[in-house]
Amino acid sequence: MAYVERIPLAGASETVRDCPVTGLRVWSGAQALTLANAVAAVLALALGGLFAMGVAFTRAPSVELLGSDSFYATLTAHGVAALILWPIFFEVAAIVFASSILLNARVWSMALGWLSFALMVAGAVILLVVILTGNASVMFTAYVPLIADQAFYLGYLIFAVGALLAIVNFCMSIVKARAEGTFSGSLPVITYGVACAAILALFSILSGLVALIPAWLYSNGWIDSVEPIVYRTWFWGLGHTLQYVNVVAMVVCWYGIVAFGFGAGPVNQKFTRIAFILYVLIALPVLGHHFLVDPSLGTGVKWVGGTGMGIALGIPSLMHGLAIMGGTEAKIRHSFSTKGLFGWLGRIRWSDPAVACLTGSLLIFAFGGWSGTVQTTLQLNMVTHNTMSIPGHLHQTVVGGMTIAFMGFAFYLVPMLVRRALWMPKLASFAAWAYVIGMLFATSFQTWAGALGVPRRTWDQSYGGEAPGNWDLPMNLNGIAAGVAGLGGALFIVIMVATLLIGKRTDDPAELVPSALK
Amino acid sequence: MWLIMVAGVLMAAFSIGWLWWGDQNVPSKTETTTTAAWLAKVTAWAGTHGGMNRAVVPPGEEGYIAAVRYGFIPETIVVKAGQPTTLNISSVDVLHGWSIVGDNQNISLEIAPRHVFSATITPDEPGTYLVVCNEYCGLQHHTMKGRIVVER
Repeated sequence: MAYVERIPLAGASETVRDCPVTGLRVWSGAQALTLANAVAAVLALALGGLFAMGVAFTRAPSVELLGSDSFYATLTAHGVAALILWPIFFEVAAIVFASSILLNARVWSMALGWLSFALMVAGAVILLVVILTGNASVMFTAYVPLIADQAFYLGYLIFAVGALLAIVNFCMSIVKARAEGTFSGSLPVITYGVACAAILALFSILSGLVALIPAWLYSNGWIDSVEPIVYRTWFWGLGHTLQYVNVVAMVVCWYGIVAFGFGAGPVNQKFTRIAFILYVLIALPVLGHHFLVDPSLGTGVKWVGGTGMGIALGIPSLMHGLAIMGGTEAKIRHSFSTKGLFGWLGRIRWSDPAVACLTGSLLIFAFGGWSGTVQTTLQLNMVTHNTMSIPGHLHQTVVGGMTIAFMGFAFYLVPMLVRRALWMPKLASFAAWAYVIGMLFATSFQTWAGALGVPRRTWDQSYGGEAPGNWDLPMNLNGIAAGVAGLGGALFIVIMVATLLIGKRTDDPAELVPSALK
Repeated sequence: MWLIMVAGVLMAAFSIGWLWWGDQNVPSKTETTTTAAWLAKVTAWAGTHGGMNRAVVPPGEEGYIAAVRYGFIPETIVVKAGQPTTLNISSVDVLHGWSIVGDNQNISLEIAPRHVFSATITPDEPGTYLVVCNEYCGLQHHTMKGRIVVER
């Protein structure tokens, strides 16, 4: 208990424990706040996944599950739950974790932490209610002058303010931890990555406020018009910058998984830190690629902001991908005797659910990078714009890359936080692989459909029988693959909830975080 | 290492050079208008060129299209094969897409109110091509379609 005396506990009623796996000091407040955000994230993922099933089975022409009105409401809800609520709740969990537990520190202000959580939950509930009652079938992009009930914009704004407060708390927590000397030297690489994500999130949320406040004023009639092209620009300042918050968070989870599963670190700390900084530098102007076929910006701006920057963004992801795999290989070669060029792969326990997620995430995200490079090319964007290629790309990156990485990290994070062993690890392995394989195929079918010209965001793709006959096959196959992924996702939710509630209580590191090596 | 750098410079040069030498660039000619003015202009043009359902662009002239929930005015536009034809497109309400779809060819443009896109196309294969709106525009979005007929 010596360390408790070093830290003034003015007015705090928190308790502290040592994590049996990492030896880090875990304050009860930081633990509760991380867990609350993680639980909200998993709930949002469950809803997002449920809506995804509605969307995928409606887009499969042989099933056409929902009617048109409920399809557009469900598609809007799917975008909001899976692309806004799930990642941001998980990222807030990650920033609380990285700025407190990883630094042996307490959260700067628990009151601010809970206020931010309450605002985010309130915003999320408002958004989902107004969408599911059919009053905001405008897609999560809500391009003006298409207009939703004003509660929709309010929900967005309240959620954004909550997330902003969480970022303030994150920065102050690091400053305080530094002042109190709970860590020494540079920030740990995971906290460093999360800090880069927080910078991007700050810009993205502020530009979201610039887009959404006028849209809200327009929806309740206080202003007469909003220029749609200007709205699109600011909206993608939110929308695409946010995706780089997600990418950075995903990369952080990759490092987290190899650290806990293999005991491996980055090949070179400096290399990894430079790659994180590159994201911040390159991702801010990259929203240009949303306007490649807009009647607005000049060709030069489109090429620089869209094509050039878009392709440059592949560089940091490639650096991280190599650092992760290289770090793992170096660690395994150092610890075991391995044969040949690829003998080290045989040491990995492939049935481990986190390994399944890491593999799937690296692979599908790489596909996403390639499809993104195609789509960000000025001329090729004319072919792919608003076809199923776009959902193909964004599911490769956001679901295949990010969601699967978050799932993988959750297999370690949740057991450590609640000190319960993962419930039914074999089922977890099945869930993870089902999700990975389902998403790999679903995104491939979406890309295929996009290459044939199938439009995205439409309830009926037959156009009264005028549409090309080859459109239905890939969309039906997409329904099947999405069903497989949905099964894996549902099992993941069940496993997480069961771990929280009935997982075996333990403080044994080998049970909380089983090694992914054999 | 040198090889990679040379390859990178070459690819960048091609990517930029294509903006001048390529035949399939994104149209860059745009102008601004108002939704009311555009609707009036397109309906007047369609009225003298065959009607709101099917209008013909005579060789050497330009065509005018308005995207409106949930359709295109004129719904079918007729152009001559082998003849470079400029189509001017704008929306009179919300954001729409204007996308020629079909086997192995697919052109997609974002159509915004108050902005006119001038796209010059040279159709080479005679036939009827489906045009769909592929930017979500409202609850009947899936019914919004038009056609381009390429005549010999």
